[in-house]
Formats: sequence, C-alpha cells, structure tokens
Amino acid sequence: MKGDSNREIAIFTEALKVSPRERASFLQRTCGRDEDLRRKVEALLKAHSRLGTFLEEPPPGASHD
Amino acid sequence: MDLSLAPEFDQLQNPNGAQDADELYSPPRLMDNMSDATVTLDAIEAGDPKAAEQLLILVYDELRRLAASKLALEAPGQTLQPTALVHEAWMRLVGDRNPSFKDRTHFFCAAAEAMRHILIDRARQKKTKRHGGEYRRVDFEDLDLAASTADDQLLAVNEALDKLALEHPVQADLVKLRYFAGLTNEEVSEVLGISVSTVKNYWVFSRVWLLNEIQDE
Repeated sequence: MKGDSNREIAIFTEALKVSPRERASFLQRTCGRDEDLRRKVEALLKAHSRLGTFLEEPPPGASHD
Repeated sequence: MDLSLAPEFDQLQNPNGAQDADELYSPPRLMDNMSDATVTLDAIEAGDPKAAEQLLILVYDELRRLAASKLALEAPGQTLQPTALVHEAWMRLVGDRNPSFKDRTHFFCAAAEAMRHILIDRARQKKTKRHGGEYRRVDFEDLDLAASTADDQLLAVNEALDKLALEHPVQADLVKLRYFAGLTNEEVSEVLGISVSTVKNYWVFSRVWLLNEIQDE
C-alpha cells in the first residue's frame, strides 16, 4: 500500500518533468505492465493541465496570515 | 469521527450527581488543559490507541473556543485566521513543555484536522442559512452565488480528502496542514519531517488528485 502510494507519486512527479510528447513512452517504461497505475497517472496528468490555482487560496471563511 | 461525543465534563466532575458529594468526597479535579494535552501526547507516544482521539477533542475544543472569542470581537461576515489560531492553541496547550519532534507532529496534525472540522461546519451552516432565505437574494444574487459555489467546492474537497487519506495518508495530512491550518511549506516540512522540495511535490500531487476526484463524479 505504502509502496504503491510512493510509486504513484514518484512517477507522476517525474512525468511532469518530461515533455508532453514523450510522456506516453515514459509511462510505458516506468509503469511496465501495471495498467492500473498507468491509467491513474494519466488521469492525474490530465487533471494537472486544468489545475490553475485550485486550493492555493485559503478555504472560504478563512484567511491565511 | 463525531466530535459531539466528547465526554460530559460535568458528569466526570460529579459522577454520582450527589449534591453534597464535595463535602463527603472530593473527586480528583480535571487537570487544566495544558497538562491534559501533555499527558495525552505522552499517552500517544506510549501507544495508547484512544489518545489520538482524546488529543483531537482537546485541540478541537480549544480552537473552537479561541475562534469564538476572536469572532466575538469583530464584525459579522469575518474570516478566521487558522494559522494564528493553531499557533495560539499550541502555545496554550503545549507551550511550556520542551516538545519532541513527534509531539509537534501529533499536535499540528490534530490541530489541522480540527480546523478542517471548524471550517466545514461553518460552510455547512452558511449553506443552511442560505437555503433558509436568511440572505437577501435579490440584492446579493451574484455574491450569494459565488459564495455558494465556493462553499460547495469546499464540501466536495472535504469528502475527497477522506478518500485521499485512504490511499495516501501522508499527503492527506499535508493538505490539512497547508490548506486548512494555513501552514507554509517550511512549517509543513518541519511538522512532517520531510524536505521542503518533497512538500512541494506532494502538494502538487495532492491538489491534482483532489481535483481529479471531485471532477470525476
């Protein structure tokens, strides 16, 4: 479980540094036959493109000082 | 966890309900909150499974009290300052003890979880009031809509965070510390014992994970 968590985060974080054109082959190499992991990371990379300032502002009702 | 299940302090102080109990027998008084907190931190260290819950209740009560006293001094519609509240609670509950690294971790994670409860409760209350028509919708329609969207998003993030905690517990703690308690990357790094660059990586991952979760429904 912990290993899976770390692996998903590590591959996602590395994938962000790879140019979008090379991401598919990067995921092929790093995820190997783990289809489930590859799909998870792909979904996250997609979400990353619309991240914007999501959660960067304090929650409603709060201000950070 | 249902925090309303906190023990009834009156009952603890006077378990028999006898009027003259004090004259016959003086039950041990509750310790003040500061020693409660340090005793609880020691109990967590010693592996007492109930202690983490006790710490959360203690910190939650303290933060709620501090928040209420701050809000009482200000105009309606004001915001809370979670960072200041959490640091004040730390000073009040643990302040004069020389804390270990683990004490800090336990305390700040509990405080961040408590802050989350407080802010979510406020968002839910606002939502209820809004549906009850307490605000004047005609005059403030746009403002109302924006506030409503922000509160709805907060509640969605709150639910998604529970799912994140199941798969990635450290990252969920990090979100609570950064987002709900308002700690900086440096402070989070200290509390969780990970490097600042790891905090930054985890923060991006967690935001993306939560966004994907709430937009995936």
